[in-house]
Order: sequence, then C-alpha cells, then structure tokens
Amino acid sequence: MHHAHIDKFAYQDSLIHRLDSRIKFIVLLAFTAVVISLPRTSPGILACYAVGPFTILVLGRIPLRFAFKHILLISPFVLVLALSCPLYDKTPVTVAFGPFVRQSSLGWMRCFVILAKFVVTMLALIALVSTTRFNDLLTGLRRLGVPKLLIIQLGFLYRYIFVLIDRAHHILRARAGRKLRNLGFKAELKVAAGMLGSLLVRSIENAEHITIAMQARGFDGNWRTISRLRIRRSDLLFAAVAACFLLALHFFVRPVLQ
Amino acid sequence: MHMANELLSVPVATGTLAIAAAGLGFICRKARSIITSDKLALMGVLGAFVFAAQMVNFQLPAMPGTSGHMVGAVLLAIILGPHAGAIVISSVVIIQCLIFQDGGLLALGCNLINMAIVPSYLGYFLYKTATAGTSGSLRAYIGAMLACVVAVEAGAFLVPVQAALSGILVVPFSTFLITMLGVHFLVGLVEGLITVAVLGYLQQVRPDIVLDSVPGKVRLSRNALLITLVVFTVIIGAGLSLFASGLPDGLEWSYAERPDQPDFEPCVSSEDSTIAAVDDFQSKYSLLPDYSIRTSELGKAEQQAETAAGWTSFAAVVGSVLTMAFVWLTARVLRKKQSPKA
Repeated sequence: MHHAHIDKFAYQDSLIHRLDSRIKFIVLLAFTAVVISLPRTSPGILACYAVGPFTILVLGRIPLRFAFKHILLISPFVLVLALSCPLYDKTPVTVAFGPFVRQSSLGWMRCFVILAKFVVTMLALIALVSTTRFNDLLTGLRRLGVPKLLIIQLGFLYRYIFVLIDRAHHILRARAGRKLRNLGFKAELKVAAGMLGSLLVRSIENAEHITIAMQARGFDGNWRTISRLRIRRSDLLFAAVAACFLLALHFFVRPVLQ
Repeated sequence: MHMANELLSVPVATGTLAIAAAGLGFICRKARSIITSDKLALMGVLGAFVFAAQMVNFQLPAMPGTSGHMVGAVLLAIILGPHAGAIVISSVVIIQCLIFQDGGLLALGCNLINMAIVPSYLGYFLYKTATAGTSGSLRAYIGAMLACVVAVEAGAFLVPVQAALSGILVVPFSTFLITMLGVHFLVGLVEGLITVAVLGYLQQVRPDIVLDSVPGKVRLSRNALLITLVVFTVIIGAGLSLFASGLPDGLEWSYAERPDQPDFEPCVSSEDSTIAAVDDFQSKYSLLPDYSIRTSELGKAEQQAETAAGWTSFAAVVGSVLTMAFVWLTARVLRKKQSPKA
C-alpha cells in the first residue's frame, strides 16, 4: 500500500493514546458542542479554546504539520460558504484587536469566525482520531450503545477500505497506461462503468470468499474482542482536566471577553 | 455536499443527530432479522467499494478540468435493498467523518440524513416503482436514472434547509437553495449515467447481482414503505412550508436587524404568527445570542469600551498562542531528554 494512512499515528503510544476511547469521544463531543455554540461576537476566545486540542496533539506526538495539512485538504466546501458571507452582509463594523483598529464588515467577521471554528473543531477531531485505534473506538462506541450491526459494518468497512482503494489505484494506473487522450464523454463513461463494474464484481466475489473463510473459523455474526476498555484513574483525571478547562473558559474567560 | 459543523446551530445539530440515530437504530433493528451473518462481510466490502469507486473519476463534457465520480447510494440500494444499503452508506458517511474528517462530528446527523438515509430509501422506492421488477430493460435504466437524480436532489435540498434553520449563514435561503439544486442536478445526472452504465455492465457480466436472487437482497415490507413515505412527506412538507414562508424574505433573520437601512421594513415581525413563533423559538433556544453590532454611530464611551474589549481579546489570543508555544517547547525538551535513553 503506497497511500498515506490517514490514521497512521493512531498506532503510536503515548499518554493520550492510552486513554479510554469512550472518555475521549465524549470529551470531543462536548468540546465541539461548546465551540459551535460560542457567540460570534468575539473571535478572540476561539484561540483560548484552541489550546485544548493543541495540547492533546502535542502530548500525543502528532506532527502539527500533518494536522494542518489535513485541515487544508478538507476545507473547500466550508471555505466557499464562508467566503460568500462577506458578499451578503455588508454591515460596517469596527474591529478592534489590540493595537490594530480597522473598519470591516459583519460578513467578514462571520466568515472569519466560521473558519476559526472549523479549524478548532477539526483540530479536536484529528486529535481524537489520530490518538485512538479505530478498533478501540468501535468497541467504545459499542459500549456507548451504537447498534451492533452498524459496529460490525464499520469494522468490515475499515478493514477493507484500503485494500479496495489500492485495487482502484491499480485499475486507474492501467487506464492511464492505455488511454492517452480524451475519448469523448460516451467512451469515457463506458470505460469508467467497466472499471466500476469489474471492481464491484471482484468485491462481491471477494466478500463471498471472506464469508466462507470466516464461517470456517466459526464466525456467527458476533464480533468478539479482547476488550481492554477499562476506565482507569488516568481516564478520570483526563475527564476532570477537560471539564475544568471547558468550565474555566466558560465561567472566567468568556465574561471577560464579551 | 458534506455539511460542516460551523454552519449549524447546536439545537439543529443535536436534533438532526437524534433523528439520524433513531432512524439508524430503527433500520438496524428492522434489518437484524433479515441480514444473516453471511451477508455482513458483503456489506462491509461493498462499503469499501464505495470509497474505491469514488476514486474512479472520468472527464465530464463541456467542462474541461472537472471530473465526475460515483457516490453509489442508489446502486447499493438496488443491489442490497434499502435497509442494508442505508446501513452501508451510513457507515461510509461515518468513516468519512471519523477517519477522513469530511464533515464534522456534530454535522454527522445532517450528513447521515442527507447522504445516506434519504437517498437510499427514496432511490430504492423510485427505482422499484419505475421498473416494476424488470431489470435490464430500458424502463429499468430510466428508473435508475430518475432515482439517482431525485435522491441526490433531495439530499441537496436538505442542506440549505438545515443551514437556514440554524441561521448561521447569511447567504439568502433561496440563493443557496437554487445553487445547491442546480449543482446537484448535474451531480445527480452524472451519478445516474454512471449508475445506468454500471447496471448495464453487470447485466452483461453477472446478471444475477441485479436480479432478485442476489446475495443480500432485502424485500421492502409494506409497513416499512409506509413509514418511510410518512417520514418523507413530513420532511418535504416541512421543508416546502419553510421555503414558502421563506420567499417573502422571512427566513433571513439577519435581514430583520439591518441598522444600515433604517427604512428597511422588517417583514419578519409579528405579521405572520408562524414566522414569529419560529423566530421566537430560534431566539429562545439558539445558544447564539445576536451580534452586538459595532457601528460608528455608537457613543464615545461605548466606543472606548469597544476598544477595551479589543484589547482583552488581543490579550486572549496572545496568551493562548504563548501557552501553545510553551506546551510545544516543553514537550520538545522533554522528548529530547527521553530519546537518548530509549
């Protein structure tokens, strides 16, 4: 496999990696909700909230360049919508930021806040995913009440996603080797359909073989794991620190900034 | 068309998350009796297939540089049946959120509804009614085409509705809606063409996959059909009524508070009781209070207060950046100390 694993850092070991996936997931959910519900008047406070995920990324030894590169990669949709804000809301405002005071419009403020929130929540999401093995996350989600069928489906999907992406790469390379020019829409569509169809047929045949192999080993529809999920003292400590962080920002920093 | 966290308000996000969770729970319970353990691997691999299929792109006509790819919700619903198809596409959306960070965690509910649940059921229903059990005929292909376009459009229709309900974006609802529907009409058209082409290929190579005797085929019971239809009617009805009241500029709450145009008549005010109620609901339950608009008309004292606020936020940003730098440096120093030992 020559593609970069998105979650390649999940298999490292660190203080953060060892935490229980349930605690991390719940903390992330709370953090995202709090950040999203922040008022749009003072973007400055978002920097305070950014300290949280940043610290986790650093403690988890995730390269910051990786995180920011990834955020850039997924930003286009939000970027377009955020940049359309200044076109529609031209209420003039005076933005005072320390020594810099300048005229701007409300639309630009909105645009800026949307983008800043995007970066902060995405940092938090990356902090969760790149410090938690996907299987641990699934076990945690199962304990939190996600239906078994969905968990098994996610587990299978995760297991084969990179296999099939690899296969798609091979097919794409084969097409690039044979097709040297644009063939026109109809032919292109036919080629793509053939590629997809053969990929689909091979996937279904693969799945049949996988099923036979798993049934031979006694698979009965239940996913058995050696569960290592246990709430330990460090997990409680992490939850407490996170709660303190959010509460302190809410009660002490927010009133000052607004 | 992934919805993002930042375009949603917390009530809308939690509401859609709750709806999506309830829907998925219902589908899973419904499907548990139909899906046997030997179909689990097939569903998982087909989910992975959706990812791989999205990499297979092809040149679009008249638009050099752009390329289309398949999403596959309708194709999977045709092959697997609506329940299993909805579960597979949901898992794809969840993986896109968790592993590839496409769309935020709070927007997951919206994305599940827009891209997985609605297209799967709507597409399957349309395909089934249009084809009436015949596969490989012209009728089946037209049905698949129709199913793709409508399913994609339905999902695209819900995005501006959810954004408007949240009231974060200032882009007028109708503009956003028309843009989304226009763009996704093309997307749906391409999706339909490629789905039809793949169905044609399968008809030649493995006709049993498209026929009813397929591994993983699920029959849609009448009850499920009825419930889905009811849910759709409610969703679309709610959306349409919103749109209707949105036409006289009712949806843009931001427009009602325009200080730059004093003669601007806020037509949102209590003339229409439903709009007033919605507005009231929004202001009561939205965790986002209104802007305090810093116009230059403010008094001198207030302006000074504003400048002072500017200083505190400046201090906050600088302090946070310094904290981050401190954390980073400490970690670096500690790591350097550790590494010679290891």
